[in-house]
Amino acid sequence: MADEQGTDREKVLVCDGIRRWFGGLQALKGITIGIERGEIYGLVGPNGSGKTTLVNAITGFYPPQEGTITFNDQILNDRKPYRVAQLGIARTFQNVALFHGMSVLENILLGRHIYMKPSALSSLFYWWWAQSEEVAHRAKAEEIIDLLQLESVRDEPVDVIPLGVQKRVELARALCAEPSCLILDEPMAGMNQEEKEYMVRFILDAQEALGLTILLIEHHLDVVTAICERVLVLNNGEKIAEGPAREAMSDPAVVAAYVGKKDDAA
Amino acid sequence: MFYRLSGVHHTRYETARQIWPVPTDRRVVYILLALALAAPLYLPDLYLSSYVLPWLVWSAAALSLTLLMGIAGQLHFGFAAVMAIGAYSSIHLARAGVPFELALIGAGVITAVIGTLFGAAALRVKGLYLVMATLAMQYLVDWVIINVPAISGGAQATLNTPEVSFLFMPLSGTGLYYGALLWAVIVTVFVLNIKRTSFGRALVAIRDKDYAAAVIGVNPFKYKLLAFFTASFLGGISGAVLAFCYYQAVTPEQFGFNVSIQLVAMVLVGGLGSVIGAYLGAGFVLLAPMFLTNAVAYLAVWGVLPLSSSLLAHIPLMVYGLLIVGFILFEPLGLAKIYDNIRKYFLVWPFRHTQS
Repeated sequence: MADEQGTDREKVLVCDGIRRWFGGLQALKGITIGIERGEIYGLVGPNGSGKTTLVNAITGFYPPQEGTITFNDQILNDRKPYRVAQLGIARTFQNVALFHGMSVLENILLGRHIYMKPSALSSLFYWWWAQSEEVAHRAKAEEIIDLLQLESVRDEPVDVIPLGVQKRVELARALCAEPSCLILDEPMAGMNQEEKEYMVRFILDAQEALGLTILLIEHHLDVVTAICERVLVLNNGEKIAEGPAREAMSDPAVVAAYVGKKDDAA
Repeated sequence: MFYRLSGVHHTRYETARQIWPVPTDRRVVYILLALALAAPLYLPDLYLSSYVLPWLVWSAAALSLTLLMGIAGQLHFGFAAVMAIGAYSSIHLARAGVPFELALIGAGVITAVIGTLFGAAALRVKGLYLVMATLAMQYLVDWVIINVPAISGGAQATLNTPEVSFLFMPLSGTGLYYGALLWAVIVTVFVLNIKRTSFGRALVAIRDKDYAAAVIGVNPFKYKLLAFFTASFLGGISGAVLAFCYYQAVTPEQFGFNVSIQLVAMVLVGGLGSVIGAYLGAGFVLLAPMFLTNAVAYLAVWGVLPLSSSLLAHIPLMVYGLLIVGFILFEPLGLAKIYDNIRKYFLVWPFRHTQS
């Protein structure tokens, strides 16, 4: 049933035979994936298997040396990160990448950057040129604050709030850009069970409210099997399994990659 | 007592986004502005023209630099050269018969273009390397000004500023003071507005984490250049205002390397990226040496310091250095942070809940 649905839906983000190497190290060895509109696509694999490199290739930090990446039929290969963002791809980082000189609210407002027209002149003539724009986008940011329940920390500097909330602020900043595709790089790293459950709830809420396509990198396999429709398992830069979460995770190759083969034990 | 947050409720985003959302802050600013406007009535001319006026212009210059160094995070150790370009451009434009208002804007644009060209070259490097690249700008500009007679009028020449009028008011006497005050107010409001709009947030974003800025659609290189452009524009006009309102003449030595370092000191002692810090820092760097020299001379006259005259000449410098080190040790975030601590203390006085 799920498979039939899957083939019907159009592919939003397509990677075709991506290769990326750093010097002699091949980090991605010809990865091909097609993420469909509205799905949560999981990306798992042991440390150093190329998950983050794949995301960095998509978002323009490390463009692939071979293969093509297309998003809504637009080729992403030669786009700088800020031009990838303008197409509606937002991402969060494995280690929280908030702007520490600013408050939670200002961090979230920065998510509206691509919709605003920042200029020195409009700042100079604030009352005539900038105020209405700032207020309109503030209203939008408040919607996201409301969705992710960040009201109580709105005016706090970001470096004094707990890590779990910081991750939520980073999610809010990404959502504020109203992306059609959201890439989450380990949104639950370092969280306890309760925080994890909250985060999953927020991700599902956001996906439902904004109709997102999500690419999720996560080490907590319980989370991955619970919310991802399909999963791609990487190992040493190669695809070793792909498919519905539960099936992919029980694939012998995946088990071998994660816990090792019987013969290795000796 | 009168300095409270309780009872201050903003029900519209417009009022919550005011430059000073706390009513008492606003009143303090109004009182300061009124005092500044009335200064010629109660301050002797000597104080006005040799202390307050340069302080206002240097504060404007420090504000321009803090926009670049504090808000956008791009170190610039050649800012005196930027001011020199503005001063010389404005004088040559005014001498060519361009109205003073346009000469100022023209000087700003010329400075901004040259500053951005250097910025574009320098921005291929970061941090300490950017410091070296901007130092190179200082020496290049110095060299060009001294060695091109068309600009400086000769190696040892002094260019006097022509008689000008600003908005139909002749720029002389107290007019000089009001000119400097107007420029300081404009720069202050401008920088405060930058800090609360999307432009300022984008600059802070590239300062804090440029890769995270890129991922939300901020073009790091473009915004670094815009920061150089805006700060150079303001710095150029500040240089022009300094030449016209204070020195009333320009020579190359007025904008040497030591002046660049003084500007950086103003920004650092005041507090990086802070508006009030620029005023406090400029005041400290300008006025502390004068004050110390006077104090030591006074003590020497009274026979309290029975020391040789050469040592007496160096005491103010030593104390001044000691004070800077002391302030940086006591509060690395500068005078602005000290002010902020006092302000926070009075916000909750007589309780002591917040000790941040």
